Amino acid sequence: MSLYNFKKIMVVPTAKDFIDITLSKTQRKTPTVVHKHYQIHRIRHFYMRKVKFTQQSYHDRLSQILTDFPKLDDIHPFYADLMNVLYDKDHYKLALGQINIAKNLIDNVAKDYVRLMKYGDSLYRCKQLKRAALGRMCTIVKRQKSSLEYLEQVRQHLSRLPSIDPNTRTLLLCGYPNVGKSSFINKVTRADVDVQPYAFTTKSLFVGHMDYRYLRWQVVDTPGILDHPLENRNTIEMQAITALAHLRAAVLYVMDVSEQCGHNLQQQLDLFNSIRPLFANKPLIIVANKCDVKMIAELSEEDQKIFADLTAEGIIVIETSTLTEEGVMKVKTEACDRLLVHRVDNKMKGKKVHDVLNRLHLAMPAKRDEKDRPPFIPEGALTRKKTMDVDEPKRKTERDLEIEMGDDYILDLQKYWDLMNEEEKTDIVPEVWEGHNIADYIDPEIMKKLELLEQEEELKEKAGEYDSDEESEDEEMQEIRVLAKQIREKKQLLVATSKEKDIHGPRMPRTTTKVERAKLEKEMGGLGLDMTDKDDSHYAQNARRSRSVTKKRKRDVSVVPTSKTRSQSASRPPRDQSGLRDATMVKKAKIMMKIGQRDMIRQGKKGEGDRHIYDLKPKHLFSGKRTNGTNDRR
Amino acid sequence: MRIEKCYFCSGPVYPGHGMMFVRNDCKSFRFCRSKCHKNFKKKRNPRKTRWTKAFRKASGKELTVDNALEFEKRRNMPVKYNRAIWDKTVEAMKRVEEIKRKRQARFIMNRLKKGKLLEKEEAITEVKKNIHLIRAPHAGKAKQLEAKMVQKLQEDVDMADEDL
Repeated sequence: MSLYNFKKIMVVPTAKDFIDITLSKTQRKTPTVVHKHYQIHRIRHFYMRKVKFTQQSYHDRLSQILTDFPKLDDIHPFYADLMNVLYDKDHYKLALGQINIAKNLIDNVAKDYVRLMKYGDSLYRCKQLKRAALGRMCTIVKRQKSSLEYLEQVRQHLSRLPSIDPNTRTLLLCGYPNVGKSSFINKVTRADVDVQPYAFTTKSLFVGHMDYRYLRWQVVDTPGILDHPLENRNTIEMQAITALAHLRAAVLYVMDVSEQCGHNLQQQLDLFNSIRPLFANKPLIIVANKCDVKMIAELSEEDQKIFADLTAEGIIVIETSTLTEEGVMKVKTEACDRLLVHRVDNKMKGKKVHDVLNRLHLAMPAKRDEKDRPPFIPEGALTRKKTMDVDEPKRKTERDLEIEMGDDYILDLQKYWDLMNEEEKTDIVPEVWEGHNIADYIDPEIMKKLELLEQEEELKEKAGEYDSDEESEDEEMQEIRVLAKQIREKKQLLVATSKEKDIHGPRMPRTTTKVERAKLEKEMGGLGLDMTDKDDSHYAQNARRSRSVTKKRKRDVSVVPTSKTRSQSASRPPRDQSGLRDATMVKKAKIMMKIGQRDMIRQGKKGEGDRHIYDLKPKHLFSGKRTNGTNDRR
Repeated sequence: MRIEKCYFCSGPVYPGHGMMFVRNDCKSFRFCRSKCHKNFKKKRNPRKTRWTKAFRKASGKELTVDNALEFEKRRNMPVKYNRAIWDKTVEAMKRVEEIKRKRQARFIMNRLKKGKLLEKEEAITEVKKNIHLIRAPHAGKAKQLEAKMVQKLQEDVDMADEDL
């Protein structure tokens, strides 16, 4: 029904946006290229298409708006009245009417210009016609700016209206402002309406839902009504009146016994009487709220008389307190029951009932003996029904406990565990030991298995498996190990010393270096020989005799003996003298050598093969003007 | 709370550590650290990666079949808490752990025995071949010769005395 359509109304664009959208759509969705030299029918067709396309877009959108918005005559009178109250029926109809007119105008414009286009004889003429057509259509829409804005606002507000089903079971709360209607609905349903000490906190209708006897009930909270004639009422109060007038509901007229709302009982009674005609066919209950502050019995005589009168007329008065929750359930059950009875009565009076009644048939089995077979109702169901009626909390919930204990409350779910021994509920259960999960070891037969294992262990130990097998090695073997270790160390030492030697250039054989006597004696001593007192040993004597006994071979006088070491044999002359006859030749050879090296040394080269260029692009050769001259030097 | 096993290295994954990867075939893999995770992503086989427990067990470097290892098994039905059972289990766990360690150590020791023999042989050959690096061949011989000569002389003298 119209209930949910309110939310599905499409957005109404502003006039400017509407024009922009449609024109850009026309540009995108129709062909854009046309030339002067095309055939005239093609040019005409091109521009006609544009005009018709624009007209089509506008038409579609405007029709959609017209169909989306609800027609006040077609929807439920409650919503019609509500919309009238909120948006003013006349203004609404007018706005929609304007849109309709605009749509028709646009269609006419398009028709006219398409007709004219048939007589366009050049590209320029057709183009101008198209321009004119589109321009006129856009102007029409621009004139509708205010209507479109108004409709957009209406749409937004409509979509936010509470979804009240006018046909289902409803309880309606009414009364002065601040009497406790919103508190009531908060208590009875899951709604969360604002409750504040100032009047007119509730400014529109609110809906809450509750369950009773397996049925869904709506509870409608209204803004407070003040006592003045209908014409003087403002929009907010009118909403309440509309609800009262159109919804077939049980009416709960809430009165404030303690007069905290700011109006005394007489005023409240006057209001009641003035809106009484609205309660014509509806079950009525008077809710005397705020009885925790003041009971009816504590009131003065006249006030009590008021209530007595009301009861005498047959209207039920129930005392409640939304603060302490006493009487709230009573009101609920009473109102719901009476409404149900009322609705059933209405249905019975109607026409459709007979169809339903004809279809229902209760089959009663024939009694075969006198034994009484009553229906079986399990005990749990009976107790539950009782608690449902009384509506008291069955058991203490954790939440109640939490509220009771305040800051001391700790949530302890272990107390609900179902264990064999009750004392073990508070145990701290170990889960892990030394990197193993205890849960992996749990086994009903673990002790038996352990026993078997222990037996195995014993056997193994007896068999000697766990004896430490370090056979004490005999002395010889130990000595061998020590020696082997020393040998390995010595080897490593030799390798290390040979790596340390800094060898650049040609290696001299070992025999070229002179062996020092002290070094020889130290090494041999390290190897185990006795080196004390070796003055008259062969090598010591040789060392003393060396100078006087060395033999030199006879050479030519011109050759100067230059050998310094004993190991070089005298027959091999040094290289800078081999092949030279006499001193002059030697001199010449020397000069030649020096000449050959001159260039190298001057250029600072390391040797004849050194071709490295330190500075590939010296700045002084590459800068400055290149006039007549050379670049090798500047 | 459970201590899981890493899929790659079979090490313990404590709560709050490591990563879990769930594949499209609903198999989940837990890793103790990014090293294992990265190796897994490189598609390496844990049975061939030498530092993992899987390799060690697969190549016989560690004890695989033993009764002491049968105690720890993942059970899918949780057991209701009962203090007596838990106490017994914890004690049994400790004892089983002792025995397990002893056996594992024994297994490894047995494996390494061969190496010890080879070491011995090597020492002997080393000494035989390279003794010259630390000892000169006739190191103590001079003194021995002297001692022998002295002894001989002594004997000669004695004999001479006897003759007389």
